[in-house]
Amino acid sequence: MSEGTLGVLLLGFAGLGPDQDHQQDMYLPAFGTHDGFEVVAAAGTPGDAADQAAAERLAGKLGLPAPAADLDAALADPAVDVVSVCAPPERRVDAVIAALRAGKHVLVDKPLALTAADAARVAAVAAESGTVCLPAHHQRFHPMIAAARGAVAGGKVGLPWNVQADFLVAGGTPSPAGELANFAVYPVDVVLALTGLRVRRVYARLSTYWTDGGADDFALLFLTHENGLTSTISIGRTRELADTRPAGLAVHRYRVSGSHGVLDIDASRPAVVLRRAEASSQTWHGAGTVDRLLDELHAAVSAGRPSSPSAADAVHIAEIVDAARTSGVSGHPVDLRSDQEGSR
Amino acid sequence: MARHSVIDGTAPLGVVIVGAGFIADHHGAALRASSRARLAGIVDVDAGRASAAATAAGGVPWTTDLAAALARPDVGAAIVCTPNVTHEPIALQIAAAGKHLLMEKPLTITAPSARAVVDAFDAAGTVVMAAHTHRFYDYARAVDDAIAGGAVGRPVFARLALLGGWIWPDWRAWVLDPAKSGGHALHNGVHLLDLVSWWLRDEPVSVYARGRAQTAAELRIHDYLEMHVEYARGADAVCEMSRGHRPSTLDRRDVLIAGTEGVLQLPADGWGSTVVTESGTSLLHPQAANGFAVQLDAWLDAIADPRAERAMTPADAVRAVALGVATELSIERGEPVTLDEVMEGVRR
Repeated sequence: MSEGTLGVLLLGFAGLGPDQDHQQDMYLPAFGTHDGFEVVAAAGTPGDAADQAAAERLAGKLGLPAPAADLDAALADPAVDVVSVCAPPERRVDAVIAALRAGKHVLVDKPLALTAADAARVAAVAAESGTVCLPAHHQRFHPMIAAARGAVAGGKVGLPWNVQADFLVAGGTPSPAGELANFAVYPVDVVLALTGLRVRRVYARLSTYWTDGGADDFALLFLTHENGLTSTISIGRTRELADTRPAGLAVHRYRVSGSHGVLDIDASRPAVVLRRAEASSQTWHGAGTVDRLLDELHAAVSAGRPSSPSAADAVHIAEIVDAARTSGVSGHPVDLRSDQEGSR
Repeated sequence: MARHSVIDGTAPLGVVIVGAGFIADHHGAALRASSRARLAGIVDVDAGRASAAATAAGGVPWTTDLAAALARPDVGAAIVCTPNVTHEPIALQIAAAGKHLLMEKPLTITAPSARAVVDAFDAAGTVVMAAHTHRFYDYARAVDDAIAGGAVGRPVFARLALLGGWIWPDWRAWVLDPAKSGGHALHNGVHLLDLVSWWLRDEPVSVYARGRAQTAAELRIHDYLEMHVEYARGADAVCEMSRGHRPSTLDRRDVLIAGTEGVLQLPADGWGSTVVTESGTSLLHPQAANGFAVQLDAWLDAIADPRAERAMTPADAVRAVALGVATELSIERGEPVTLDEVMEGVRR
């Protein structure tokens, strides 16, 4: 392993849905092509036999050492600098905390935790350990969004006072935890990254329109931020559409209105648009959002600084999601406590 | 040899315009283009304004006395473009005179008064229609036709944004006085609230709205409105109405409808051709039907056959007022407001 290359332990092979494995579908390919990382080990989530079997299969396939007997042993490996955690959601927080306590840097699949209280536990340990704990809110690294963050921060539209966002996925397997839990972190993180303004008040509507099950597949969040900025975010999973790959984004956009201008961000662009007899599709060259997320992970580890986004950012998003759930049930807006540190 | 365009022998309906402000010009132009109706006169409380408008319209009669205008046998109907707070008494006077009415939106600025106006026209046996002109624009009809044809299945989420900058006069503009306009939700918000309710084919249950005095902190109306409407069968609409955006040249219309079977969009950047010139980039809007003329025809159709299905019913107009009132109330409270509360004791 060359100088500056970070050894990666892949821990856990799940997502938020029954057929999801974000580790192998998203993070492993990105680690594999990134110069700054080398996958050195795999381990299953403790107490999850299927997950451990997946780790063994992957280790065999990649020619990695056989997975360690238990998590402590896996985390004791000095070749491991970074732990990529895709443990099932109910075991995720414990896995992240164990990795942080072992002095490792952590990349955590989203959502970092299912509740704000659990996210806060992780953030507290991360603050104590001084290692990087990066929640995988990778949409903020989208080239359109990253450029827009710079433009807004630079005053291009003056003082922003409203953001409208749509994050609508088409097709794929519905998340049993609901799409609020599954997807909200992405657009909420983008809105927070664009504006730098924490949320004070949440009104939400949760509905089930496309699936038969009980879990929500559509959420509307009406957020009131510091400095009076308001944002409205639609989040959902519609039925499949011919021009969108399964579980791809059918609509992904943000409009930032400011005192001196308007910025429209269409995250379905830039794209080469292909139109064919069966359907049309879009492609683009260049680093993907997960690749750019790993750039941030590497930069934060190398510089010895907290990552952006940080675990604290994930806590605030989890608070918003918790409040949305409460509001969705009560039908009334929910005020958030304002004694948290800033989300920047 | 003289040629005649009117061949069915029916005399065109004589229509007076009441209130000679800027929107009256649009109605006047529609009347001039119509073979079924003619501008019979101008009524305005300001004699100078009334006479100037009458002269500009080719020398039609003018008066400051509405009762006198309504007493003319050649006047069968009125188009009213006065400040919103005057809509109720003027409408009741027109109903009592047995004439038909096309009322600029909103029909009135309270739900009970809107209902009272509709009842008065029912009793008189004449037609009242509120001028929710957007229903008659090509874009709105294209969206409605697609939904009617089942393009998206059952529509469950609608987004409609009409965003622009400051277009009103100075502080003296009556629109800026909530006592006269009812607030921006009643003045312009009703356009969007009516449109999405029409598109979604569902009855609104409650409204959660947020408003902003964007252009100046001292504004007593919200030049930016965001209105969420929840519907009875389970659907959501998010409407944004702005006259507070900058640059003031912004002219934005955005439609997104998600349904059980598909997604329909009228993208904001698809609304016209892009013109890049030395002075900047602008949009050249496509040619479109004159919504005021299409609306006038719909009103004349209703007058010709009051039993036929109407493009915009009196109940639609009452509902739009109720949604506007609920919006203003929700902004004031910071809480959702139910239509039941606003409509308390009022028939829908």
